Amino acid sequence: MSQPAPAAADRRSFLFMGGGALIGLAMAGYALFTARGTSTLIVPPEDVALVNQQPISRSDYLAQLQTLYGVDLAHATGEQRHRVLGDMIREELFVQRGKELDVAATDPDVRTSMVNAVEQEMAADAVTAQPGEAQLRAYFEAHRGRYASEGVLNLRDYVFAADDSSTAAAAAAAMRAAPPTPESLAAWHARDSRKVSDQEFYFAARLHLGDALFTTARELPDHGVSAPVRQGGEIHVLYMIENRRPVPFDFAAARDQVLTDYRNDAIGHLRTGDEAFLRKRANILIADDVK
Amino acid sequence: MRVIVLAALWATLAAVVLGYSAHREARLLRLDSGAIVLGSAPAELARALGRPLFETRCAGCHGARGRGDPGRGIPDMTDADWLYGSGSVGDIEQIVRYGIRSHHPKSWDLAFMPAYATPHPSARDPRIEPLTPGDIRDVVERLMQLQGSPSDAASAARGALIFLGRGACYDCHAADAKGDPAIGAPNLTDRITLYGDGSRESLRRSIAGGRHGMCPAWEGRLSAAAIREVSIFVYSLSHGGAAP
Repeated sequence: MSQPAPAAADRRSFLFMGGGALIGLAMAGYALFTARGTSTLIVPPEDVALVNQQPISRSDYLAQLQTLYGVDLAHATGEQRHRVLGDMIREELFVQRGKELDVAATDPDVRTSMVNAVEQEMAADAVTAQPGEAQLRAYFEAHRGRYASEGVLNLRDYVFAADDSSTAAAAAAAMRAAPPTPESLAAWHARDSRKVSDQEFYFAARLHLGDALFTTARELPDHGVSAPVRQGGEIHVLYMIENRRPVPFDFAAARDQVLTDYRNDAIGHLRTGDEAFLRKRANILIADDVK
Repeated sequence: MRVIVLAALWATLAAVVLGYSAHREARLLRLDSGAIVLGSAPAELARALGRPLFETRCAGCHGARGRGDPGRGIPDMTDADWLYGSGSVGDIEQIVRYGIRSHHPKSWDLAFMPAYATPHPSARDPRIEPLTPGDIRDVVERLMQLQGSPSDAASAARGALIFLGRGACYDCHAADAKGDPAIGAPNLTDRITLYGDGSRESLRRSIAGGRHGMCPAWEGRLSAAAIREVSIFVYSLSHGGAAP
């Protein structure tokens, strides 16, 4: 078996080593000038410009062309392209100048926007995670009380004079036997308060009747009549025409709302956690007199 | 010696593959989204690469075949009906990138269906007042009438007044109820329904409980090239592309 001459072997070794070094340098150079956060002279393909190394997204540029002129890149005129790009570069320059001037320290609108933006960013992380069906079902089971149809009632609120409790009691008894008629109401000197008309959701009825009357009304069955209720210097007798109580939703019917609630809870937890982290790492000094 | 040669070859091969991949991605990203033609080599490659991304990131909601689920308000992406924009690759890409009500500052987030059977139907617009069960019934009849389904004319007439008046439905859905793809407000005059089966009960539920579906933003979670690839795949679903 013949061995290569030592000089030839050395040359080959140097050649391979040099080749390897060149490939390594090329790869490192490519990575160095294209990696995010490094200074580069090349505009990445997903961007249309770099302003002090801050990218202007190609996607945003195309969307802006579409929004302003209703055209895609191929159909945009040179002037339209330049105007949109010029505006986007101008905006970026002004934002960068705003950071240099620390505008957030003085402008309440900028501060509000920044707080909102950070909150949104935290929430975006939470909504990207898609909960599984088992997680949603477990959440639904844990909060079943939230998921029901809104109750609907249709009633009449008859008002009697405050000093005529005996008539009100007699009228209530009569209504239990037969629905009231205009004639019977006239005979009792009662009037419809018209606080509730036709069908109303429970929440609306509560607003219109007030808590006390609504609590009484909610328990009445169809065609039920309440005992006289004294309220606001008058006596009320409620006649329930129809009471459709809230019906609990099953999981399928509630799923949409369950998902929303689940995500909102996740967002809330994430925000609380992030705020705690920010507080923990911050150096916060509080004046003695306001501690 | 052989080991060194092999290592050098592998390194060269890796560099070539990386270089080609970067070149291909750059070409894809520099393509004008409005000019992407299915069947062209870059589009077909992107579609093929977008399919597994769709399966892992999107199919959980949209279904493996992209047909959605009206029970959950997940849109069918194989038909020609688009809620946001016109269904171009660029429009789809904006949704994939920034999402819908995703809490990304650039997400689609203008339209928000109020929950009219609640004390405060819209957290964004306190001027919108609740509707009564009768009002909701009237609006439903109006929608049935607009869709050409049998309806109660008197009730629909009252519903039209609510639609154009205190219900403020026209504000998003437009006075002719044909919707507005610029804000994601659906056309209420066709028979394509995002939620439910288009029955009176499913319409009533949408009006009573409100709707505000969401799609997450993938910016920062997927590369720009991957976002374009999955967008082209989604575009292909409604343009003759075979569903997975």
